[in-house]
Amino acid sequence: MFETEAIRVILVVGSLCTAVFMLQRIRAAKVQIRDSIFWLVFSALLLVLSIFPGIASWASRQLGFMAPINFVYLFIIFLLVIKLFSTTVRISQMDARLQQLTQRLALAEKEREDTAAPEEGTREEQTSPPKPG
Amino acid sequence: MKLLIVIPAYNEEESLPAVIADLRAVCPQYDYLVVNDGSTDTTAALCRKNGYNLLDLSANLGLAGAFQAGLLYAARNGFDAALQFDADGQHLAKYVEPLVQELEKGYDIVIGSRYVTVPKPITLRMFGSFLISFAMRFATGHKICDPTSGMRIFGRKMIEIFAQNLNYPPEPDTISYLLHCGAKVHEVQVEVAPRLAGKSYLTFFRSARYMLTTSISILLIQWFRKNDLETGREISDV
Repeated sequence: MFETEAIRVILVVGSLCTAVFMLQRIRAAKVQIRDSIFWLVFSALLLVLSIFPGIASWASRQLGFMAPINFVYLFIIFLLVIKLFSTTVRISQMDARLQQLTQRLALAEKEREDTAAPEEGTREEQTSPPKPG
Repeated sequence: MKLLIVIPAYNEEESLPAVIADLRAVCPQYDYLVVNDGSTDTTAALCRKNGYNLLDLSANLGLAGAFQAGLLYAARNGFDAALQFDADGQHLAKYVEPLVQELEKGYDIVIGSRYVTVPKPITLRMFGSFLISFAMRFATGHKICDPTSGMRIFGRKMIEIFAQNLNYPPEPDTISYLLHCGAKVHEVQVEVAPRLAGKSYLTFFRSARYMLTTSISILLIQWFRKNDLETGREISDV
């Protein structure tokens, strides 16, 4: 059992709020379904942990924790760290892709401008050193 | 019917020429568009060399993003229908016409299904397919024998919705959601060939994650999504 019933009620409310918020975002087409899955599973796990306190008691006995609630905290922290890690990797990849896209768009636009107005700057080009790349 | 065959291609340089040759030989009356999904091999160069109709994405977006790019092209260029077609040689051009004919009967989506008349083999690989079929039956009341088939034809209304909105990957959960919204979906028996080259991206971990996402989406999320078919948003500028 958790020390108090209050913490279980808070967990239930928290997990339901998470799920409702996510489903609302999906409804408003503000989040991709694949990104919402983590949060829906997360809230389901919290719900299970708070409805069946025996799971936390059992796990904390197995792991030698002082109190079941410590297992609950650790479990939440663990999930959030995993999520933070994967989010960092994804942001990093997105960053790299955004750079790549911006560069390629600029190059493509330049190519188009150069072919559209070839007479401009041709004289300069003849005297200037060859372009890199 | 003005049909666009959308062929998302990621590193398919080995199989693509045979796929295009098959399409050109069997159904030359239809347009096709290869969407190069930021391949790291020479897929784009190959398309340019051979003069294939090419949409070249400069970054890898994944199947959903690549297919949506193809449908944006279809929406902008006034196509009546768009067909999702694999670049790896599994889909055969001879089944394009049967799908078109079925769509013309007034369906929104027609799926080229491997298991309408042929029974589904009971293998580990098909286990996922069984589960998704079951979930769709449960959630929509409709029986889709081959929900994971990647050969599907979409009518004009679907093209606009797919091109316009978030959360429309060409996947079973989208089909399930659209059935739920009242779209008319039908299946036609087709055969598929073994892939010509490359290997499937489905590893065990990916399959498991895919199954989890798809099941949650079909069984839970679709009840909360807005009905994009009913709201009938004005789609002016795609």
